[in-house]
Amino acid sequence: MTMCTCMVQEGQISPAQQATLCAETSAFAQRHFGTPGEINWVTVPGGNGYTAGELSTSVIVSVTADRSLAPSQRIPLLHELEEIWRTHAKKTANEVVSVIRDPQ
Amino acid sequence: MPLYIVNAKAGALPEEAKPKIAADVTRIHCDVTGAPPQFVHVFFFDDGPMPPLGDKSVMLYGQIRAGRTDAQKAQIASEMVASVAQHTGLASDQVHAFTTDTPASWVMEGGDVLPEPGEEEAWLAAHEAKLAAEAAQ
Repeated sequence: MTMCTCMVQEGQISPAQQATLCAETSAFAQRHFGTPGEINWVTVPGGNGYTAGELSTSVIVSVTADRSLAPSQRIPLLHELEEIWRTHAKKTANEVVSVIRDPQ
Repeated sequence: MPLYIVNAKAGALPEEAKPKIAADVTRIHCDVTGAPPQFVHVFFFDDGPMPPLGDKSVMLYGQIRAGRTDAQKAQIASEMVASVAQHTGLASDQVHAFTTDTPASWVMEGGDVLPEPGEEEAWLAAHEAKLAAEAAQ
């Protein structure tokens, strides 16, 4: 399984959106890293997320690759992952932080 | 990125302290590293799963871009512990802060891969120009 941590803020993602985001993120992991995503869905309680010192609506999605990636490999994947979250979470680019980690 | 996660025992972190601590964490990180505030995310949890509290009342964990010195990291941890203690009334030894490094090239924010430490100004200028161009279309 590919480890995927999705940190979202309470009240901003509907159950239907969550199901789609989990499925799409898992499919992303399967496509690029060979195994489906094991989704660790973390909900930040409402009013407990800040960006630049102000209450925020940011989401953070972090996926661990199955191998060490060169920038030429990682950057397109970051764009694809971000696009999944922008589309299905209805977020702007500035609200999505995407991370693709090398395995430890 | 950075992402700071503040995990606290239930009741240890009054609601009114959270915006003050978030502001301090943002200011401290920016003062020490020169990073712009819009990069700094702070999430609070009561009895959250991570970081584990151990014998502490509050644990503050920062995932920061790689490239900071050990002295910068120590200053960040020390000043953030002092902030949490000040705003909660907890003794400093009930609060612990630590950071781990994440390469900037692993992170995308605002549709762009994050800059290496020290390259933020040029990155922000290019990023804002890109957003303005997209908005004009």
